[in-house]
Amino acid sequence: MSDTAHAPATADHGAGHGAGHGGGGHAHTNYVKIWGILLALLVVSVLGPMLEIRVVTLITAFGIAVVKAYIVVKYFMHIGIEKKYVGYLLATMIALMVLMVGGISPDVLKHDGARWENVAAKKVVTEGQAKGADHGDAHGKTPEAAPAAH
Amino acid sequence: MSAEAHAHGHADGHGHHGHGHHDEGFIKKYLWSTDHKMIGFQYMFTGMAMALLGGFTVYAFRMQLAFPGISVPGYGRVTATDYNALVTTHGSVMIFWVAMPVLIAALGNYLIPLMIGCDDMVFPRLNRLSYQIFLISAIVLIASFYVDGGAFGGAWTSYPPLSAKAEFSLTPKGSTLWLLAVALEFVAFLLGGINFVTTVMNSRAPGMKMFDVPIVVWMIIIASILFMASVGPLVAGAVMLLFDQQLGTGFFDPAKGGDPVLWQHLFWFFGHPEVYVVLLPAMGIVAEIITVFSRKKLFAYKTVLYTAIGTGVLSFFVWAHHQFIAGIDPRMANIFSVTTLLISIPVAEMCFVYIATLYGGSIRLTTPMLWALAFIGEFLLGGVTGIFLGASGADIYFHDTYFVIAHFHYTFFPIAFIAVFAAVTYWFPKMFGKHMNDTLGKMHFWGTIISFNFIFIPLFVLGARGDHRRIYDYRHFPDLMKPGMQDLRILATVALLVLLAFQVVFLANFIYSLFKGRKAEANPWNANTLEWHAPSPPPHGNFPEGLPTVHRGPYEYSHPDRQDDFWPQHLAGDARSAQS
Repeated sequence: MSDTAHAPATADHGAGHGAGHGGGGHAHTNYVKIWGILLALLVVSVLGPMLEIRVVTLITAFGIAVVKAYIVVKYFMHIGIEKKYVGYLLATMIALMVLMVGGISPDVLKHDGARWENVAAKKVVTEGQAKGADHGDAHGKTPEAAPAAH
Repeated sequence: MSAEAHAHGHADGHGHHGHGHHDEGFIKKYLWSTDHKMIGFQYMFTGMAMALLGGFTVYAFRMQLAFPGISVPGYGRVTATDYNALVTTHGSVMIFWVAMPVLIAALGNYLIPLMIGCDDMVFPRLNRLSYQIFLISAIVLIASFYVDGGAFGGAWTSYPPLSAKAEFSLTPKGSTLWLLAVALEFVAFLLGGINFVTTVMNSRAPGMKMFDVPIVVWMIIIASILFMASVGPLVAGAVMLLFDQQLGTGFFDPAKGGDPVLWQHLFWFFGHPEVYVVLLPAMGIVAEIITVFSRKKLFAYKTVLYTAIGTGVLSFFVWAHHQFIAGIDPRMANIFSVTTLLISIPVAEMCFVYIATLYGGSIRLTTPMLWALAFIGEFLLGGVTGIFLGASGADIYFHDTYFVIAHFHYTFFPIAFIAVFAAVTYWFPKMFGKHMNDTLGKMHFWGTIISFNFIFIPLFVLGARGDHRRIYDYRHFPDLMKPGMQDLRILATVALLVLLAFQVVFLANFIYSLFKGRKAEANPWNANTLEWHAPSPPPHGNFPEGLPTVHRGPYEYSHPDRQDDFWPQHLAGDARSAQS
């Protein structure tokens, strides 16, 4: 039996002990199936950016991460029974993601300063933009829509 | 819950019927236990063993700095490669394998079930697995000393490209083992953190409302949440760095279009909240001790709690202050300067709350109280000197000097050692049922505190004079061998030797008291929290007379309507009817 099966019932204002073992009536989640879904999403999130379409890259990089987090919170963390906490956790995670990406992007996407220049990174970005421009033309898009290879 | 967890002799709401104790073999009892107390001890003793390693490494490299080129007694000649490995190991071990396991894992495991009045963690086997993974991580780290090229020498921050390329670090295997060890350690603490949070949410004693939870438990919970929320990017970054090392990818390699500063961001997005991951439990320990030994209610319980939460939230907004000279966008430096200075406000507020708690109290200068008071004083010095480093303009001068080292150690030494000594001397009677020797305890306290200041005040002076922190042999830098500078390095090193020598007093006191100490009753300090209701030491299951019910908050000291100056949480009745 898993550890979780022995966890005491959810405390109601601290009175958790008197209630004995909680639950017991609900069906067990098929964790292997959940794992398979997560694995499939991982594959999609790796393949998506290879299309080199900005919208698809953003959706596969961040959108799928949110979906995966939702699945982990709901099933592996067993918080599906407290729906509002799933929302709280997702909101917190998205806020942290925005904070981190927002804090890092202005810095790591900048390749020169007053007394320095990241020549190699600039070269790769230029090549990526050139490739993206070709790709964009093929799809009737502007070169700006090309993802920045970094 | 495991079979062991059912073995205590009482019935409770978990369905644990009294089927008594049974004899367990040595391995089952001490190495394969699911008892939260034993796991706490495992973390504590492993942490203490690792502290010896951390102490030995600092001894070796400080001797090299004070007396360059000598054969260090017990080590031999410190080569440049050795020096890098010793410094890296010292930093890594003291933060990841001493501060975190002792402050959070050991004390969290030992205290949480006892202080919230339950019999064990809700996931005892997960708890055991957490320690086992932690132990493996420690073994992996130590093993890195014995592979080709030796232990990793790229500093505890592991900045690429130095850490990413074997031709730079010269430790092709050591750097990978270091990464693996850190990753394993993080897995261990993730498991532990999940356990702590779930246990406190679900297993509090009947009647214990959220604001009846002792502050130290709250602090460990907030720290666990901070850790879980911040560690993800670093684990992802560690995998990317591992790929750079072993598969030739270029996430952090500028020659391949990568960006080494990206690692710095990922590292410090975790690294700065990590400071508060270890600070908050230390603050909680101090809160418990100063209330007991000033016989006063904690001043503004909710303020401390909300302040700790606020500190935790703000800690996610300050990371780039570690990178002011890494070429980051100057506009970001301005923002992070402001957030860094802001975070000093809630931390200072906590210190003021503690001073307000002491004000007018009936202060008893016991050994744990001395440590708790020293924590406040020394940590304040660390906090105030952090203001200089948080301001980007001043940091450009101070960065990578010994000023940073001194500031860091004025924050981390109080956290990792002063608070831990406070905790060990305070809860030792509960843990082992014996009192520690008070004379030896005070000797250890004064010897440690005085020598600590003699180590790091000279380093502040050296740093202010421009002494760079990453120099192996100062004889190669005549500008830094000006009159007085080497004398200060020698003074700091001699003080370190004195500090290390006084730790022998602690170890002797610990071992002596363990076997020959005066027997401790259940509540020797007349404290209120639930752990003092359990026998000393608590048996398996903690509360043989049944789980307690909580009737009030944890800090009801010197209540005007009571004859006793304490009022345990588990005692029923109002002030006049419930004299103990």
